[in-house]
Amino acid sequence: MVAALLVGMAQGFAIAPERSVVQIYIFMQKPDWTAPWRYDPVQSASGSGFVIKGKRIMTNAHVVSWSRQIIVRKYQDPKPYLARVEFIGHDCDLAVLKVEDESFFADVPALDFGALPQVRSTVVTYGYPAGGREISYTRGVVSRIEMNTYSHIGNRRLLSVQTDAAINPGNSGGPVVQDERVVGVAFQGIQGLENTGFFIPPPIVERFLKDIADGQYDSVPLAGINLVALQNPDYRAKLQLPDNNSGARVDLIRPQSPASAVLQFDDVILRAGPYPVANDGTILYEGNRVSSAVAFQLHQSGDTLPVEIWRDGAAQTVTLQVAAPKDDQAQGNQFDVRPRYYIFGGLVFTPLTLDYLRDADRSGTRGGLADLNYELFYHAREDPETAPKEPVVLSNILNAPVNATFLVREATLVTRINGVVIERLTDVVRAFESSTQTYDVIGLGKHGTFETLNHAEAVRANAQILKTYGVPQDRNL
Amino acid sequence: MKLLLSLALLPWLLLPTSGLAAGPRSGWEKSVVRIEVSHNVYDYYQPWNRRSETVSKTGVVVGKTQILTTAENLSDRTLIRVQAGGRGAWANATVVWVDYYANLAVLTTPAPDFWSGLKPVTIPAKPSFKKDGLQILRWREGKLESRQAEFSQFAVRKGRLSDINQVFLEASSEIQAAGDSEPVVSGSQLVGLVIEQSGRNCKILPGAFLHMILSAHARAHAQAPRLGYFHFYWQPAENTDSLAYLGLPGKPRGVLVIEVSPRLDGQPNVLQPQDIILQIDNFDIDMQGDYADPDYGLLMLENLATRNRWAGDAVHMKIWRTGQVHDVIYRLPQYDFTNSLVPAGVFDQPADYLIVGGLVFQPLTVPYLQRWGGDRGRNALFRLNYYREDEATKARPSLVILSQVLPDRFNIGYQEYRGLVVEKINGQTVHHLSQIQAALEKPTGPFHVIDFVPNETVQRVVIAAGEREQTATARVLENFGISAAAQITPQPATAN
Repeated sequence: MVAALLVGMAQGFAIAPERSVVQIYIFMQKPDWTAPWRYDPVQSASGSGFVIKGKRIMTNAHVVSWSRQIIVRKYQDPKPYLARVEFIGHDCDLAVLKVEDESFFADVPALDFGALPQVRSTVVTYGYPAGGREISYTRGVVSRIEMNTYSHIGNRRLLSVQTDAAINPGNSGGPVVQDERVVGVAFQGIQGLENTGFFIPPPIVERFLKDIADGQYDSVPLAGINLVALQNPDYRAKLQLPDNNSGARVDLIRPQSPASAVLQFDDVILRAGPYPVANDGTILYEGNRVSSAVAFQLHQSGDTLPVEIWRDGAAQTVTLQVAAPKDDQAQGNQFDVRPRYYIFGGLVFTPLTLDYLRDADRSGTRGGLADLNYELFYHAREDPETAPKEPVVLSNILNAPVNATFLVREATLVTRINGVVIERLTDVVRAFESSTQTYDVIGLGKHGTFETLNHAEAVRANAQILKTYGVPQDRNL
Repeated sequence: MKLLLSLALLPWLLLPTSGLAAGPRSGWEKSVVRIEVSHNVYDYYQPWNRRSETVSKTGVVVGKTQILTTAENLSDRTLIRVQAGGRGAWANATVVWVDYYANLAVLTTPAPDFWSGLKPVTIPAKPSFKKDGLQILRWREGKLESRQAEFSQFAVRKGRLSDINQVFLEASSEIQAAGDSEPVVSGSQLVGLVIEQSGRNCKILPGAFLHMILSAHARAHAQAPRLGYFHFYWQPAENTDSLAYLGLPGKPRGVLVIEVSPRLDGQPNVLQPQDIILQIDNFDIDMQGDYADPDYGLLMLENLATRNRWAGDAVHMKIWRTGQVHDVIYRLPQYDFTNSLVPAGVFDQPADYLIVGGLVFQPLTVPYLQRWGGDRGRNALFRLNYYREDEATKARPSLVILSQVLPDRFNIGYQEYRGLVVEKINGQTVHHLSQIQAALEKPTGPFHVIDFVPNETVQRVVIAAGEREQTATARVLENFGISAAAQITPQPATAN
């Protein structure tokens, strides 16, 4: 009986889902953020995807990031088809591809999306794990639904679903299916945890598809606030708030966000849109208790929603606009953009980013990284008035006679040039190009270190240095 | 069975050989003594906890009834015993003086029998030993172990207990686990005391430094002078364009002053950024920042702050500023652990803390950070560790953190908060536990409002003030078996 039921179930999924699941091969090339004009060797990788309406293939952003060439293969069809990225959302780790030869879609049905699956319900993942040529199925249950860090970008926490169905490298981008409908896109696991995989649920996917409907991707919006639990009865009493299960406290407001014009420190969020906010900062979403951030991040950037708050001992409703932040890219992983840099006299300047820190650490850069880590992640929060808008580092030095006596050789924050405070990379360019001094004085690091460069000699040497080191241009701004 | 027995015996057979004296009696048996120190060790993660630890170290007889040893492990001592000849009776000892900044101490014992047959060593004021005849000595299993050491160099390094830069002797030796004040000798001369070993490299306090500290204490008794330091930042002048930019004529030389912090002792700053230091106490400073020491050879200029100099002494400097040579007198500031925002050392006092309704406040100190250990601590507490880069200022002399919350119904909702730097309590800026106590005396209505330095966890917590707070504190103390709600060492009356 059990065996028959299993067979029946297998047949019940029919052939349709797997016919719509594709294998994606990519050839990619990542830049070296410490030598930002240079790219690493081309690497190949593979992932999964599936056909959706509109003659599109959906997959993960991380499957196709930094791609030089994308090839897709249909189920049991050896023919390679060239594809390209149509839209990509690195924050939600989703992308849609177009295939050059539209005949690709002729005999491939588009999969439909279902609703957010229930916890404990069964799902099946489809994909091509470990690079195998045959499709693989794994079955599991939905273990829980909650917010998780999306590791592709690294600095976003979005709704995700945990399952005990095996999700391995190569599964990425493949559909998670329930009742012949896609209820998720497989995307990540956690090293060291067995039987734990994660997929991106339909609300995030639908938000992405709606976002790109106008022809551009605007990113996942945030409320622009940090909410913290408000469970201590004395804190609630101080805010004259009833000691019940309702309301979480606004503990931090991003200065550049629309929320800064509407909300105040110590406001208590009682309701976000239609969702009552509990005193632990969660909402009940589709039967799952998840962070109240979900109530904001399923909107489109620029949307407004009513937010009921508690302020000065009374409830009131304000209209909050959600927006995709544009000031925190440097703190997350960046993709598909050429690193920015400027070279003068062999000195390589680049904005301080997480990618730079990672590559500098990997390349064995000595010292200085603690200063940069502080600068990237702490300085602006603790002391916004003195923090540069876009910290710039002296990444490394292309050795030449003009800079041979520099003591500082790499990975150091640039503070001033010729007395001018450096707020961003373009300030560096302006400082050197407008200099009329014999010696350019470059302030570096935390304790007033400075180096000096003979300006005229640096100008004369620049072209030869670029040629010697095979740098195509002195800048990418 | 026979084979097993042989294997079991092997370590026993080998051990005495490895620890035995290398040669016949040398005379040092009469000058080297064993020291056993029992002292309190505080658990900075649970600062109300302490345990006793007993360590062995070595000392050298330097006076009629005086034993010289390093200051390490003498903090908060409970019992010191000394033993002559490496065996026999132990005698209880006391500390005559201890200088944690210099990492030296002198012990004595009233036991008259102890001193009979012991012979004080003399320590020359200048290094004049044969570099190829160094031996490291210590008592092991009743015999004086003597290990050869090969001279490597004199170099300026930070101290083991403080951040003072001073000259050290570095030597290579096969000795194992040295660093407990083992004397280094050359013939009949004391060359130094080993304070640290890393691999084969031994870091040794040189004899001339021992002589300087001993002499100062002998002269001044309880009011011995303290070590000073250069409080400014400098960089080598290897970038010759920088020297040209500053207009220094002649051959490249000197170092560039790059940052001069306001002095905590109120003395005026005689240096300023972009000065070039050309000479210190008549020693020419080269472009790497070294000078030719008549006793040690080339050394980093930092050593001139401790070379026969003390805090408050005048150091003569010749500097280049705005196109001219100037003579300035730099008065050495006194080195104090509290000169750093995060003090490197806490000595002869229990670990401070204050518990309020289960919220545990502690000073941020290096011993607290070290309690987290290695990489784990560095990663988990990056921000707290990074404060070690900062100097204390009058506006921010120290930091207090909410180190943890001991769970109680009073503090529900806050149990997972930890490692948060406290900025204000009830609107008052706090840098010290005593300031927290004072701030708690003036609650915000019926509440205490605690604000933290901006961080990614939480910016503020509020707790009840008054009777409920006191009841909760008492309940926490009882539930967690803590005998006192606070241990607060009074602040010095004036900052150094």
